[in-house]
Amino acid sequence: MIWVSWRQHRSEAFGCLAVLIGLAIYAILVGTSMRAAFGHDGLTPCLARSQGAGCPTGVTAFMNEFGSEVNIAFWSVALIVPGLIGVLVGAPLIARELEYGTWRLAWSQSVPRARWLAVKLAMVTGGLIVLGAAMTAVITWYRAPMDRLTGHLQHNIYDFEGLVPTAYILCAFGFAVLAGLLIRRSIPAMIAAFIPWLAIRLVVEFVFRPHFMTPLTTSHTQLNCGPPNGCGWGISSVPQITGHIGDWVLSVQRGLITYQPADRFWSFQLIEAGIFVALAAASLGTAIWLLHRRAA
Amino acid sequence: MTQDDAGGTEPALRTDRLGRRYGRVWGLRDCTLDVPAGAVAGLVGPNGAGKTTLLEMIIGLLEPTEGEVSIFGETSRAYHAATLARVGYVAQDHPLYRDFSVADMFHLGRAMNPTWDQGLAQERVDALGIPVKRKVKQLSGGQRAQVSLTMALAKRAPLLVLDEPVSSLDPIARQEFTREVTAVAAETGLTVIISSHVVSELERLCDWLIVLSGGHVQLAGPTDDLIAQHRMGFEQLVMTYLSGEAVTR
Repeated sequence: MIWVSWRQHRSEAFGCLAVLIGLAIYAILVGTSMRAAFGHDGLTPCLARSQGAGCPTGVTAFMNEFGSEVNIAFWSVALIVPGLIGVLVGAPLIARELEYGTWRLAWSQSVPRARWLAVKLAMVTGGLIVLGAAMTAVITWYRAPMDRLTGHLQHNIYDFEGLVPTAYILCAFGFAVLAGLLIRRSIPAMIAAFIPWLAIRLVVEFVFRPHFMTPLTTSHTQLNCGPPNGCGWGISSVPQITGHIGDWVLSVQRGLITYQPADRFWSFQLIEAGIFVALAAASLGTAIWLLHRRAA
Repeated sequence: MTQDDAGGTEPALRTDRLGRRYGRVWGLRDCTLDVPAGAVAGLVGPNGAGKTTLLEMIIGLLEPTEGEVSIFGETSRAYHAATLARVGYVAQDHPLYRDFSVADMFHLGRAMNPTWDQGLAQERVDALGIPVKRKVKQLSGGQRAQVSLTMALAKRAPLLVLDEPVSSLDPIARQEFTREVTAVAAETGLTVIISSHVVSELERLCDWLIVLSGGHVQLAGPTDDLIAQHRMGFEQLVMTYLSGEAVTR
């Protein structure tokens, strides 16, 4: 069965590898110049000294050159990539067998259909985890200098680092596998899986994520930050209005700042990845159960 | 494994009040049949008569709503490895993976069947002149049918089920396929169940006849006896029972 799974999915694996290589080449090209500029602008000693508040010119120069690497629209669009990967790989997994009638061949061999599916899912899920981890590693490496200025708890950064990108892929994959079984056609299953995936993804990001843990509050008057870079709370403000790099400011109202501190990154990642992995596991478990129970 | 293992008295296939309901409609109901070991049984019926439903329940691809199937005395359980292993199956339109080579298909057969006979598979395609390196999508319809049949045979199951195996083939490939099945049945003593809605081609092939219509078995028995009893030709016999005219006789 392991051979069968590999033989059936190897072209997808090669496709994913090609995407990964393309990403790595881009990351090395841009990442190398970003590293050089970071040294040039003398940011390392400045960060150690004053969280970036003491060297506005260096920070501004660096942000002007590379700021688009974190906050341009590209990264807002790129959030759909894990979903696309997941549905492209997941939807045909069962639906293609049903579309082409090959399920009669696959499921009439001496391997029960539920085991056939379980082995395939284990193999493909493993492959997607490797892909997700590799893509995340490449992006994290490439953005490392920028992250020293912005932290990685904010939108458009958080979503591409740590555990969540892989969890997003798995969730879309799980939805698509189940949709493929229920709808029996690959393309409609891709669409039917992608839409709820995107909805959940955005609701979690904008509704639940800010409250994964109770936000902290602080007031303006405690701050020690000077213009031009300080005292903002956009993604490119160094440091953030709280006086620290990488804090995620949720709101500023009448001098009261509500924020999530930068060191909660991994707790947030665990919570959010847990949500999406649980959704993936529920979908895949349902698919196996349905296939075991019901007639195709 | 052949039918001899079962002791000879057990029928190769027995279905007992077998039925399958789809929603509120019965696809097949009250189907009780025996097919003796070594028979080549033709299953005839119009489209929608329940042929595929019956065959899928026989091979364990579909769970009966009521009744049961046994193969050489052993009760079948849908979706279970032991049941699946006892039937070689060629599905309608001979589904194979298009981007697999013939060798890949055999590799799949070997990986998914503990009783797989690679020597048999290899010899058969060699004899038929089908190159194992060729991709499935480059094969003719007739060759695909032969590869499907080869995979079913290499499984070394005591019962072979063929669902509309020739309906998608041109006349020459039809003849070749039919000849091949006849030869295999004669050589191996395998019990074969073959469905078709084309009556003429079953006449040459089958020594056992099952007529299915409207989700019910209308007629079943040894072809020669049925013909002698009814004093009519094979085709006429089938037609009479398909139309339901003879049910009261």
